[in-house]
Amino acid sequence: MVDYKKLGFRCGLEIHQQVDSGKLFCRCPSIVHDANPTIEIHRRLRAVAGESGNIDAAAMYEMTKSKAMVYEGCDTSACLVEIDEEPPHGMDQDAIGVAIQVAKLLNARIVDEVLVMRKIVVDGSNVSGFQRTALIAENGYVTTSRGKVSVPTICLEEESAQKIESTPHHVQYRLDRLGVPLIEIATGSEILDPEHAQEVAEKLGMILRSTGKVKRGIGTIRQDVNVSITGGARTEIKGFQELKSIPKVIDYEIKRQIDLLAQKRPIVPEVRKAEQDLTTSFLRPMPGAQRMYPETDVPSVSLPRSLIDGIPLPKLLDVQIGELTKTYHLDLDIANTLVSDGLGPWFVRLCKECVNLKPSYIADTLLSLERQAKAKAGADIHISDKDMETLLHAVNASQAPKEAAIDIIVVMHQEKQPIKEVLSRFKPLSENEIESRIKTIIAKNPGMPFNALIGKVMAVLRGKADGKKITEMTKKMAGL
Amino acid sequence: MEKTGDFVKVTTADDVSEGVLMPSQKEYLVVIKLDSGYNKAIRKDHVKNVEVLESYKPLAEKPVEEVPRSGLPTIAILHTGGTIASKVDYRTGGVTARFTPAELLEMFPELRDVANIRSRLISNMWSEDMRFAHYNLMAQAIKEQVQQGCKGVIITHGTDTLHYSAAALSFMFESLPIPVILVGSQRSSDRGSSDAAMNVICAARFITQTNFSDVAICMHAASDDLACVILPGTKTRKMHATRRDAFEPINALPWAHVSFEDRTITWLRNDWKQGALNDTKADIVYKPFKEDLRIAIIKTHPNMNASQFSAYKGYDGVIIEGFGLGGHAPINAIDMQTKEHHKIAESIKALIKGGTLVAAATQTVYGRVNMNVYSTGRDMKSMGVIGDGHDMTSETAFIKLAWLLSNYPKKDVPDLFIDNLHGEISSRSLYEEHDG
Repeated sequence: MVDYKKLGFRCGLEIHQQVDSGKLFCRCPSIVHDANPTIEIHRRLRAVAGESGNIDAAAMYEMTKSKAMVYEGCDTSACLVEIDEEPPHGMDQDAIGVAIQVAKLLNARIVDEVLVMRKIVVDGSNVSGFQRTALIAENGYVTTSRGKVSVPTICLEEESAQKIESTPHHVQYRLDRLGVPLIEIATGSEILDPEHAQEVAEKLGMILRSTGKVKRGIGTIRQDVNVSITGGARTEIKGFQELKSIPKVIDYEIKRQIDLLAQKRPIVPEVRKAEQDLTTSFLRPMPGAQRMYPETDVPSVSLPRSLIDGIPLPKLLDVQIGELTKTYHLDLDIANTLVSDGLGPWFVRLCKECVNLKPSYIADTLLSLERQAKAKAGADIHISDKDMETLLHAVNASQAPKEAAIDIIVVMHQEKQPIKEVLSRFKPLSENEIESRIKTIIAKNPGMPFNALIGKVMAVLRGKADGKKITEMTKKMAGL
Repeated sequence: MEKTGDFVKVTTADDVSEGVLMPSQKEYLVVIKLDSGYNKAIRKDHVKNVEVLESYKPLAEKPVEEVPRSGLPTIAILHTGGTIASKVDYRTGGVTARFTPAELLEMFPELRDVANIRSRLISNMWSEDMRFAHYNLMAQAIKEQVQQGCKGVIITHGTDTLHYSAAALSFMFESLPIPVILVGSQRSSDRGSSDAAMNVICAARFITQTNFSDVAICMHAASDDLACVILPGTKTRKMHATRRDAFEPINALPWAHVSFEDRTITWLRNDWKQGALNDTKADIVYKPFKEDLRIAIIKTHPNMNASQFSAYKGYDGVIIEGFGLGGHAPINAIDMQTKEHHKIAESIKALIKGGTLVAAATQTVYGRVNMNVYSTGRDMKSMGVIGDGHDMTSETAFIKLAWLLSNYPKKDVPDLFIDNLHGEISSRSLYEEHDG
């Protein structure tokens, strides 16, 4: 067991989360897609001297590599702002709103006015040669099972362009992602050990998702780890996808620093990249404060107290989960999935609208109907939210039997018919009709044992009426 | 009292921050640069106390002397302003011009292999503030550089009126022994993606690799950082507010392309002026602008009033940047609604009668003025509006009218205005000059 305290373990996280709004400094939608590019621009970046003629170490490093950049993009998701041919527009108001919500959830002090800065980045991932970033709040904290961890800063910044290809001579980037708003949360370095780092990252992720306005899926949230031990140096590690990798990445980095110390080799502050096996390799020197200067093209945004107070505080996901298990008696797993899929509020509304249905049935339908229909049809099926609601309302009003739900979806998909059309075909039979069909079957199979009989009845009536009801009626009519 | 650059501690009711005091764009904010590099804004009415922890001591910049390298030609760089060669003081946020040879070579190190640099500051202004007087200052500075001997002159210039200055210098020097290349930048030189360096370096290479001897503009050929284009001084216009390739030839083709990567020059025309000089001293003359001339451009638009023309009573010259075929102004009173147009016609006549030279140009940007096709044009011509048949931009027409009135008897100006003096008028309109 490693004694992290004795090692002088210091560790902080930087979480970058994409916001689900328009782009931060232009009015392009923030959609990432793979359509054929309609724009191709060739550029080169130069190192720019900062204050008193000093060139930032990280910037200088990239400059010496002096590669040509090729940017590809589409008109649907990139305009002149992305290719640095037009000054930025005003900041996206929705993104500021989400950042303020996060700041409030992290108990941080929100700044009086948002000032946009340029952070020099010359690897080409920002066409302009800098990333726009703004301080939103300071001095917050997040509560963990092992005490509070400070959150010194919460920033709102623009996402970089996505690297598509890199050769010794050029780097190709795609522009869709450039400018998507990112919330950056930086924690203090008082994280206790690698396991604790993972907990902090999970908690911050949960808080971000609680706003309901952040992007989901691979690459929409990234965690960087800053770590050092006594005698070592601060290393920033980037580029691993899964939260559960955090402890291993940190342990490997500590081991690397311990080994270097033992060999009496110098350890310099640097940015390292996590590899597949979670060991790390040198990426670039650590950037300094030298790389920041004001973005004079964007007016500052005033955040008066009244505006901040008017932004509602979202319910945390773990609170939402607790409420679902308590109010609707859902299993923890189901509640968890509903909430983490962002279906909580929809589920609650449907429960109120469909009072004849059990909440567990509604939850189950929302979570698994699509998968079941896919399996049955052997094809890729997507159920729209609207169709899902129509179906549940029909079942609630006894206009469609529960048992027919999968078939309805499959038929819709196979015949490409609207749901209303398909529902009319699955209308439950009236009691008289059911009775007459059961009667016919009994008459054809006199003296048949009940289990065999009910099989024959079900073969005809499954999906056309409630199964329980069919069983009861058959029992009664067969005199059993 | 704290001042910009001081390291301060700012205390509010619920917050204490330390950082470097920065200039603020809004008078109600105190802005400090935190250790992290971020600027933080604090409302002044929230501030309880500002304590100076350390006073700002500006770093003494020691002047660096560049030793000329033998075997290289000399290029003179004249700085007039704009963002092409400026430096942000990240501590205070102030912008200062950089124009000493050492500073220019620090910003554009590639120049070291192209030429020895001599430099001079003419002014440090936004180009929208240019006046005729500045054209005279530029011409005098060019003359002095030629007299001292050099292979060419680069003028760094703000882009907004760069094409006016290029036209002015073209007319002022009847013949130049060396190239004078105006260079601007659409993205300031304080960012990694600036177009400034490539524009300056391509201009310098064009100067040293050719015998071209005229006034021209060197800017990006496209949005890519692949090549620059050398544009004619009298037939170029800024055609985009923000793009790098904003400058385009109008009713003309560019002189040449300069490839940034492989340093080659591709000529697109062969009618360029060749100089005899190779970095030797020469005496040249220029015809200056009269600095007190009053010249205006009136752009026509629907619903005009006569006072928009009569306001220029007493002016030396007026360019009517008219509709369509050029010069067309609303002068036809055809119904109850157009009664004012009769007054407009009378105002134009009164201007001309009062001694103002009124010349036509077109707001279509591309194409040629022809005042014979419609009765409006014919009527304006008979009123005494000059300029029929030229294909100058209204900006070049404006500069030319001012320069002619500065240097020639007024009676000769109508004819000279439609004579091609410096490539500003072409007799043939070629299809490929505007491919839409």
